[in-house]
Amino acid sequence: MRFLDSHVHMVSRTTDDYQRMAAAGTVAIIEPSFWQGQPRTEVGSFKDYFNTLIGFERFRASQFGIKHYCTIGLNPKEANNERLAEGVMELLPLYICKEGVVGIGEIGFDDQTKLEEIYLRKQAALALEADLPIQIHTPHRDKKTGTIRTMDVLEDVGCDPFKVVIDHNNEETVKTVLDRGYWAAFTIYPHTKLGNERMVQIMREYGGERIIVDSAADWGISDALAVPKTAALMKEAGISMEDIQRVCYQNPLIAYGQSGQLKEHDWEEAKGVDPKELFEGNTLLRGGQDIAAAMASKVIT
Amino acid sequence: MQEKLLEILKHTAEAEAVDWLENHLAQQKEGFAQRPFYYAFSGVSRHFDKQSTVTVNTEDEEALSKATPGFSVANWDEFRLARVILLLTLAEQGKDTFLETLNALINTADIREQVAIFSAFPLLQYPEELVPLAREGTRTNIVDVFDAIALDTPFPMRHFDDEGWNQMVLKALFISRPLYRVQGLETRANLKLAEALSNLAHERWAAGRYVSPELWRSCAPFLTEQIISDLARVAEDENPNQKAAVALIAANSDPDKKLAGLRDDVASQLDDAISGRLTWDTLGQDLEQALLAAAA
Ligand SMILES: [Zn+2]
Repeated sequence: MRFLDSHVHMVSRTTDDYQRMAAAGTVAIIEPSFWQGQPRTEVGSFKDYFNTLIGFERFRASQFGIKHYCTIGLNPKEANNERLAEGVMELLPLYICKEGVVGIGEIGFDDQTKLEEIYLRKQAALALEADLPIQIHTPHRDKKTGTIRTMDVLEDVGCDPFKVVIDHNNEETVKTVLDRGYWAAFTIYPHTKLGNERMVQIMREYGGERIIVDSAADWGISDALAVPKTAALMKEAGISMEDIQRVCYQNPLIAYGQSGQLKEHDWEEAKGVDPKELFEGNTLLRGGQDIAAAMASKVIT
Repeated sequence: MQEKLLEILKHTAEAEAVDWLENHLAQQKEGFAQRPFYYAFSGVSRHFDKQSTVTVNTEDEEALSKATPGFSVANWDEFRLARVILLLTLAEQGKDTFLETLNALINTADIREQVAIFSAFPLLQYPEELVPLAREGTRTNIVDVFDAIALDTPFPMRHFDDEGWNQMVLKALFISRPLYRVQGLETRANLKLAEALSNLAHERWAAGRYVSPELWRSCAPFLTEQIISDLARVAEDENPNQKAAVALIAANSDPDKKLAGLRDDVASQLDDAISGRLTWDTLGQDLEQALLAAAA
């Protein structure tokens, strides 16, 4: 089975992850712009981060035969630094229509402050202007209120729910998100928050329509294989292959495909791993290593 | 120039894509604004086909090189040509807007966008402002970006100073680029470069590494003792392509017959060079083909 992990922060992951993801069937990934743990103090840091997302990280993924896409945006945490936020807003128009940029994201609420709302509105308007999907981060604290407030703001700006993926849902938020016509994404964290078993329950209740499973793997404890692992668990639990394929591949493809920047033939026609390809003179292979051999030794069962 | 390029783009591009581009150009001519320009420049990827190579007939080629000698769009993809067309509109917006916008684009460009930006340089105004950008660009190790600055373009030949020129040629050799596609190798040859190239050859020989015969082309007008002894070594090489370099210099660039003693070692190549069957271009093409075949 093929997988599309529509939320994963690869800049924080190792090549081991790339190898295991490729071996497990992950053909494409979407990397949302986000907070990097350490708050940024200069607008230029965002520029270099965005350049990494459309540049070196895309190349790094390609070395493992994985197609890398991204969403570009100002995350809610750093929206609270107004000076920085204004600078980032000026930068965004340079990036959002680039090749492989499949939406504005991840944006939304964190502490649900006034500034967060201002920049959510501005970026939602930008997405409308550029006709792009939106990837929404919902707050970890007071999630339900924050999720509803997010949808209220988006609808007030005039966004089409079918072009918005609301992420980090749980049992408390999924119904209203689906009822209002949005895509509902679920982040599978190991041990905490939403584990794989709870996801199976949600699938039993809501089926596969407009539901998306992602890993949101980042610099914290998380699992870059969350999507294929959850798929395996769903299969064991008797969820239909069709529904599994929808939530782990087809749905994110449809949702973000509305950008016109994400197409199945991007990876179906890819010529595969080319270890001779260089980026800035670097290859990720060292000492004459053969990538196929390196990957074969890492196949997970 | 913009008209002509649009006409070439129309040979292959979808009508919908061309309409979109022409609409945008018309809007920008009424009143230029940065944000829509950014959207359009990046957004080329939403409308055109990067797999599609533009087709250029003889008449197109003649028109282009008449307007800007040395400029060609042969083998460009649609993204590249559409973006260069957009940059020509940007170039009409006054120096400050043009340079500010261009700098913003370069600092945030993905690989294909960088390729397009540097490809447009021979057509743009204020070359003195563009030279530092191009020279910074040559520091890249992304081959496509380097090629857009250095190969099949008259910009470096016309505007780089000797230091910039020499660095570019050395780097082209260092990363195995086909030197025959660098315009101006003869006119821009200089002693300092010839000496640096000789040193590069010695370093490579010492490391047991390959030295491209194209390296000697820029040394041809400077047959110093050192370079003559280098060429003696090249003439003894068993590879006919290595001998060819010596033959080409002996046939075309050696009025004082300083290489007379080497002529016997390269006799058959010398015949070809004198008859014109062998030129730096045919040698470069053969080497490039061999390199491509080895990579495939
Ligand atoms: Zn995230």
